[in-house]
Amino acid sequence: MDYLNELVLPALYSFIASIAFGIQFNIRFRHIIAAAVGGIISQVIFNAAEFSGSSEMLCYFLAACSISIYAEILARRLHVPVNMYLVVAIIPLVPGSMIYNAMITLLSGDNSGFAEQCALTFGVAGSIAMGVFAVSSAARILTAALSGIKKAVK
Amino acid sequence: MTSNELLTVTSKIGSMLISYGAEIYRAEESVNRIAAAYGFEKIEVFAIPACLIITIDGENGLPITRQVRITKRETNLDRVDKINNLSRFICSEKPSFSTITAHINKIQNRKTYGFPTILASYIIVGATFALFFGGGWRESVAAGAIAAVIKPIEMAVAKVKPSVFFSGLICSMSAAAIAVLIAEAGLTDGFDKVIIGSLMTLVPGVTLTNCMRDFIAGDFIAGLYTMIEALLTAVGMAVGAASAIALLTNIFGG
Repeated sequence: MDYLNELVLPALYSFIASIAFGIQFNIRFRHIIAAAVGGIISQVIFNAAEFSGSSEMLCYFLAACSISIYAEILARRLHVPVNMYLVVAIIPLVPGSMIYNAMITLLSGDNSGFAEQCALTFGVAGSIAMGVFAVSSAARILTAALSGIKKAVK
Repeated sequence: MTSNELLTVTSKIGSMLISYGAEIYRAEESVNRIAAAYGFEKIEVFAIPACLIITIDGENGLPITRQVRITKRETNLDRVDKINNLSRFICSEKPSFSTITAHINKIQNRKTYGFPTILASYIIVGATFALFFGGGWRESVAAGAIAAVIKPIEMAVAKVKPSVFFSGLICSMSAAAIAVLIAEAGLTDGFDKVIIGSLMTLVPGVTLTNCMRDFIAGDFIAGLYTMIEALLTAVGMAVGAASAIALLTNIFGG
């Protein structure tokens, strides 16, 4: 495995792009760095999953899970909206090249290739959404349970 | 605080949250909590990304309603954070009406990043995503340059208040056209990576995230609304890029 090209550089690019996106969304600087670390985490998890031979959709699912967990923990610690960390870190996961490939196959008149690419794109988008769904739902249940326990102790 | 003042404060805070890019449940919950803090137990809130409706029982027992139509939405997560803190402060301290209005004005006047900074962020996004998707340094420079052109185009198109479909179409059409021209001039190695990189600047990140989070929270109408918005943006971008590529590669005999 070529560590520099397959692990370090994607994580670095994702970090830099996340900082830039944080500026576009008007996040203050100290939050931007914390949010952009989410971009690194997602890439590291994604590449580790890919290296261990997981299917593409599982890779995206695990990466989405990891940044959601990171965002939920940080948001609760620092009392800020979860969105602030989630929005920035999720963008490097957006399958831009798949959407582009789908469009190019359609242009070249390859209808079955287009259908295949579309299915792949929607599958990946779905697995990212599922990753966020799973973690956010678990976090909601967990916070409700914790506040219930706190009330019971009082 | 009178019921009228409460309605003014809550509708202002709720609509600001929605227009700056917070989830729907956050806006509804903030309104509910503020009302409860001032002893208004009977309150009904309904919000979708385009509209906020609040009804409470007034002093004389008659219900009063305010509806806010939210037409302009701009992402500013810093202000979402500050409004979130404000509503927490209101619930614990119960300040007077004038104090809250002063706080709201202060948040609305918080400074945002200037145009040069935003432009630089567009360039960085374009350049790094071209590298991220496997381009070389020449593709990265080209994508950064195109991203710098996209921002002014986006701002010019926003002046005519277009649909998300139309603005995505115009921006990506011009980006793809420039990318194909640069590639035809022999400056870059193909236009694929350049187009993908520069178009990543237009990805509606907040819309996508809010769509998922609205569905999780059970706000299905809001979730559908944002989902359609994200899909229309993506389709608009794809159609724009496709038409530019098809046209230009035919001219150049690609």
